Amino acid sequence: MKSSTIRTFQTVHTWAGLLAGFALFVAFYAGALTVFHHDIAQWQSPPWRSEPARDVSVQTMIDRLLAAHPKAAKDFGIVLAPPGTAQGPYAYWNDGEEHFATADRLDRPTGDEGATRGNLADFVYALHDSLGIPVVGLYLMGIVSVIYGLALISGLLIHLPQLLGDLFALRPGRNLKRLWQDAHNAIGVLSLPFHIIFAVTGALMCLFVPLFAALNLMAFDGKLGDAFAKAISTAPAVQAAGRAAPMLSAEALIERARASALSTGVSAFEPDYVHYDNYGDANALVQVRGVSQRTLGTYGTIALNGATGEVLEQHVGKTQSANALTNSSMYALHFGNFGGRAVQWLYFLLGLAGAFLFYSGNLLWIESRRKRRHSEQPRKTLVMARASLGVCLGSCLGIAAAFAATMIAQRLAIDPAVPQQAACYGVVALAVAYACLRPVARAAVELLAVTAVAHVAVALADLLRNASAWIQPWTPQSLAVLGVDLTGIALGVGFAWLARASWKRALRGDANSVWADASARDGIRVEA
Amino acid sequence: MIARCLAGTVLGFPLSGLLLALCLFWLPGHGQDWLIPVLLLFFPLWVGVMAGSYMFRSGARAWLALGAANGAVFAALWLSRHLAGG
Repeated sequence: MKSSTIRTFQTVHTWAGLLAGFALFVAFYAGALTVFHHDIAQWQSPPWRSEPARDVSVQTMIDRLLAAHPKAAKDFGIVLAPPGTAQGPYAYWNDGEEHFATADRLDRPTGDEGATRGNLADFVYALHDSLGIPVVGLYLMGIVSVIYGLALISGLLIHLPQLLGDLFALRPGRNLKRLWQDAHNAIGVLSLPFHIIFAVTGALMCLFVPLFAALNLMAFDGKLGDAFAKAISTAPAVQAAGRAAPMLSAEALIERARASALSTGVSAFEPDYVHYDNYGDANALVQVRGVSQRTLGTYGTIALNGATGEVLEQHVGKTQSANALTNSSMYALHFGNFGGRAVQWLYFLLGLAGAFLFYSGNLLWIESRRKRRHSEQPRKTLVMARASLGVCLGSCLGIAAAFAATMIAQRLAIDPAVPQQAACYGVVALAVAYACLRPVARAAVELLAVTAVAHVAVALADLLRNASAWIQPWTPQSLAVLGVDLTGIALGVGFAWLARASWKRALRGDANSVWADASARDGIRVEA
Repeated sequence: MIARCLAGTVLGFPLSGLLLALCLFWLPGHGQDWLIPVLLLFFPLWVGVMAGSYMFRSGARAWLALGAANGAVFAALWLSRHLAGG
């Protein structure tokens, strides 16, 4: 490749990183935690602290929904609670407009999935997919995903000439920039398949609605809608019979769906969503969606008749079409729910490595603009250093603050929704302000130290408040809570290690850098 | 640089969409059974065109070449539909 071409792609890579790096850091850090969505839900509401108002069965939920909103019977769905949690299910219905509500709030539904607000796991998920900003945030993250794709291609092209020779090279030594560059390249190349998955599926999930409208108009003569509906349909078209019939209970239908799914040869079918058309009609159509293992199509659906329980169509495992398999495996590959705990941990580590990739990109940007012979550094590198510290470390600290706020809100018996958001965004804003005001090297050490302490403190406080659970025989639920706390402590130890490394660097590293702490160095004798 | 970037972004979008539509049209049954796998290729294709457009010598060439490619694929799609009696 010509050197001018490589330089062009270097510019593209730099700009892509500047435009998308910060949002991608948040998406990957929050995304790594979201892998354990169900465990975080357990952490917030383990069965031994359950709130009885929310802990309702699926059928009770349906009965209450239809008593409050009879019109919903035509088209509604129940999102099941993660298995084993004390969180209740929540309902979605469409009577011309979309509504969402939990069992205790059926009288005041919301127009978005805000029904689940106050759930810490969902808040972390919202940070991951939209920075927590409704609608606009999702499109923003879609554009970020497209830029991320461009950064992947340009990064690979720049690195291509030395790709094979340098792939496993990690050269510690006096040239720190080369070490960072090696680490950035090694992670970027070795986890490339993982990153390609996220660039493609992330862009699709965020931009699906506008993309679909544009493609339909531009290239498909308005025929894409029907073709798409047919491609993803998981049930036959059934007309309402017009006569009433008693329904089987939701629990019974879910059991039948599970049995039918298992008969296709998949090794599990964990239902997570039930949808009804024409509830109470003799031809009521019920679709039970569930997560299976040992199949490419992790998400499967069984369609049944609500009155007789007769299985109408199976879309599980091998019975799925190429369209359904692609659709289903796209979600599975994004969420990492296809291989149990091992894959979850792999996704968690790769997610953290991804966050490191974007953070190290910013560090390299600063390092390659460093003045090696002056203690005074270019203004733009100082701004970048402050922004990286404030936004990236601020979000790690902000998420820990959201965990703490959830605990405190529960203690005071208030709705955790507002405290979570206030704590998270407030802490990010404070961290950014702090990083702007303090000397850069001090801000780095102090923010890392505070983040480390926050993680360990939240985990220890939670271990203490659940003390009674640890002396009971352990259950999958208590292990999930314990897992979240131990992971918090591990992350805290990691941040403490980074704080110590930054402190050493500030004192003993090259003095001509934004990361050097001039005032502390004056106080002690420093070797070169 | 910015002109090539814009050309790839703006013209790459319809070009990718039209290419996929053409590809689906020529698949058996107009690609109904392969709709989602083919649509999944949209973003890789678009980003590929964006990256590829930096290989043009100038912004004007990028606009011209990608514009012509759009015209050609659109014509091919229109002809295909027309000849197939669609």
